[in-house]
Amino acid sequence: MKIKRDAAGADTRTDHELVYAARDGETAAFDALFYKYRDGIFRLGLAITKDPSSAEEIVVDTFARAHRALARLEPDSSLRPWLYRVAVNLSYNRRPRKGVVLSSLDDAVDEALANEDGSPSYQAEQAELRRLVLGAVEELGPKHRLVVVLHYLNGLNLAEIAEVMDCPVGTVKSRLHYALRRLRTHLAAHPELGIEPRRPLIATPLRARKPVTAPVPIEGE
Amino acid sequence: MKLIWGGCESREAAYLAGADRLGARDRAALEAHAMTCVECADALRNGRPVDAALRSAFAPLRERRTIIAPGRVRLAVAPRSLPVSPWLRVPRIFSRLIEASVMVSVTLFAVGSSLESSTVQAPPMTPTHSVVQDYFRAQPPIDELNYFRWLRLVKTDVSPTVSDSVHLPAGGRFDGDQVEIVKERTAPF
Repeated sequence: MKIKRDAAGADTRTDHELVYAARDGETAAFDALFYKYRDGIFRLGLAITKDPSSAEEIVVDTFARAHRALARLEPDSSLRPWLYRVAVNLSYNRRPRKGVVLSSLDDAVDEALANEDGSPSYQAEQAELRRLVLGAVEELGPKHRLVVVLHYLNGLNLAEIAEVMDCPVGTVKSRLHYALRRLRTHLAAHPELGIEPRRPLIATPLRARKPVTAPVPIEGE
Repeated sequence: MKLIWGGCESREAAYLAGADRLGARDRAALEAHAMTCVECADALRNGRPVDAALRSAFAPLRERRTIIAPGRVRLAVAPRSLPVSPWLRVPRIFSRLIEASVMVSVTLFAVGSSLESSTVQAPPMTPTHSVVQDYFRAQPPIDELNYFRWLRLVKTDVSPTVSDSVHLPAGGRFDGDQVEIVKERTAPF
């Protein structure tokens, strides 16, 4: 069978095709799935466990489970929600290793910023802002933090997050809304971020008629 | 406000979540609602900076990559041990038995020899009694030189009398008056 590849040499087959090819014993198909999703799962594991070694083990364990489950996997279009769900469960079930000092999410970002261009003062300012935001994210509850991480770090849409967390999409939207509201409350204390504090409900005038948001252009118009 | 507009929160979240855009009708309805609802308008207006701050904060982390190879997964899913027929284990068990018996025998030999050597008495420090040596000590030598030596030998503690030291001859003559040795010819022992 001829394998379709893009300019970068990556396999362009869909997850559905790759799963069926891997089921038939094609090692390259499983490797293509691995290379496609390993970084995302690694970042997810890193965000939850805050330990790079544990995150790598989570990647291996996740794909090992996928390999064992190949016979019963039936991905519609993307295998990503299924893999992320397994990775989330493995991450939360993993006990922290003894003697390992867990770094914060902010430390992981600092490592990624090591090669960033810019003046030292600019880098320091950006790092401080990131530290504030990620510190506020870490203060969220586990469910709300997971929604934020899956959406803003892994780029999953709300439907995929719902599939990963095994809950309705409305619940994901509600959790995301709550998380953003909590973050806004936290971050409003830092004026350098330009976020206004929430107005109390009692002060909301019912007669506000004029538009306060800029209309967003609707697609297709 | 929430009683009037059901599902405000979820629509706002979806509105802000760019990856999952609302439909055109829902978005227009939400914007129309935000014109009348200050809380929703405030949430939409100030949700954007939070959204932007989160995207900016997570951007470097999205560049983190790993270099794990798929070979590690293959190692993880590989069968730990192939099923082996019990008959194939017989030679291995036999060889293990031989190894064990050799080890036991060597150990017993080492322990036994060490015990035996510890029970053997050490040889006496005094020399053994020699009858031949006693005989030759009792007999005076024939030649002159050895005779005088023999005299010195037998003159030790067994001698009851004290005699002068022996003057050896020099130049064929004694260097002093010849002293007669008054000593009983007794056996040294």
